[in-house]
Amino acid sequence: MSMRSQVYEWDAGRGTTQVQRGQAGQRISIFIGGFGNNITKPAETTATEFVVIEDIAVTPTLAIGLNTGQTALTVRGLQYDEAGSGVAGPRAYTQVRINTTDYFLNPDNVPNDGIPGTASPYPRSINFQPSFNLYPDVYVLPGQVWDVIVTYYDATGLLDSAGAVLSVADTNIAINQLQCFVKYTLYDGPDALIANKLLEMGISINPGNVDWYKRSLLASQ
Amino acid sequence: MSMRSQVYEWSNLAPASQDFTLRRTTADVPKALTANREYDLFIGGIGLNITKPAETTATQFIVIEDIACSPTLNGAVQIRINTTDYFQNPDVTDMVGIPGLASPYPRGAPSTVNLNGATGAALADTDNILKSFDLYPDVYVLPGQTFQILYTPLESTNAQSFAATSTEVVSAFIKYTLYDGPDALIANKLLELGVTINPNNVDWYKRSLIEQQQRSAAASAAAMAATNGGV
Repeated sequence: MSMRSQVYEWDAGRGTTQVQRGQAGQRISIFIGGFGNNITKPAETTATEFVVIEDIAVTPTLAIGLNTGQTALTVRGLQYDEAGSGVAGPRAYTQVRINTTDYFLNPDNVPNDGIPGTASPYPRSINFQPSFNLYPDVYVLPGQVWDVIVTYYDATGLLDSAGAVLSVADTNIAINQLQCFVKYTLYDGPDALIANKLLEMGISINPGNVDWYKRSLLASQ
Repeated sequence: MSMRSQVYEWSNLAPASQDFTLRRTTADVPKALTANREYDLFIGGIGLNITKPAETTATQFIVIEDIACSPTLNGAVQIRINTTDYFQNPDVTDMVGIPGLASPYPRGAPSTVNLNGATGAALADTDNILKSFDLYPDVYVLPGQTFQILYTPLESTNAQSFAATSTEVVSAFIKYTLYDGPDALIANKLLELGVTINPNNVDWYKRSLIEQQQRSAAASAAAMAATNGGV
């Protein structure tokens, strides 16, 4: 199998070290950031691999507001507490980094936090539907290192493992509170070579076009 | 990477000591908005801003594919290219733009929030607004142009039924594709040809250039062979 659809789900409440309130505002790698479930080494492609990132998503947020000091309410499945910024949920964003370059920029060409969970929610629901589609896809060429970074700003929109608001004490976040999802296709061996060829030709790299290239090679023989 | 999908999310959140911020912080609080006033999402001085007006360089081409805003406060979003508003009334007069009720952010958001709600369900459990509007055809920002996205709430963030210190949080969202370098040149060429500018068509144009080169190389080789054969 030389073209394989792959996913990676990160949960800040899993693994040996969980996210705490102190990580709010910090950029956390979902692969090797040291929080939540991680992998053994940085994500990178070998000389015979080609990765196409097709979707990224993170826990959503709902804008509400501040009024009279409501605390610890659940709004549409998200935690809301007026001690924070008046939103329900973590105010989370996700960025793709290739080698040392951030993919998502502001209009002034300054790298930003990335895609808001509000625009690309994980999981999707009736209350939170995507406004964003990662098109064109992001290509990770052979030999490149890639990373997906999560930043959250509102610890009052999260619960700890005891069910209390995360911002109150240095406790560990519960599972399913802050999650990130990446969907990508891994092209390996000959299919990675074809992916490179398609890239040279200016053709979008997807399984359909790789198959088309193989068919055209067979037809020309 | 010369074609990149980009997003920009604005909300009326900034640290307590200032009205706007260039970086989100963990200490952001809602900032009051005045009804019927236009707020520039990039340099409007409220909420998240950027360092300078949004503009394309000589080697950039932007295609705006989606705009949306919170459906609450009857907010609306407008696109301004240089000094020209994109959305107009049928009598060609100015309007506030696309209502958040037609293009909600997030999709599925409630049309109102009740800040007096004592429970989570009472705070925001009215409805799920889905989009009625699709920005098609897309909006092009040509090289060298300046563009603004303007958010206008038709109600203030502090409704009279709430406490004097209350403030609603609202957001706006823009999705665009940035074509840079050679791809911006191709985007300009497609514009001249009257072809829609999207990643597929830019790729198609590249392929057609390559095929053209291959054909001319093959023709040159054939001509050379014929010349040599004739000697």
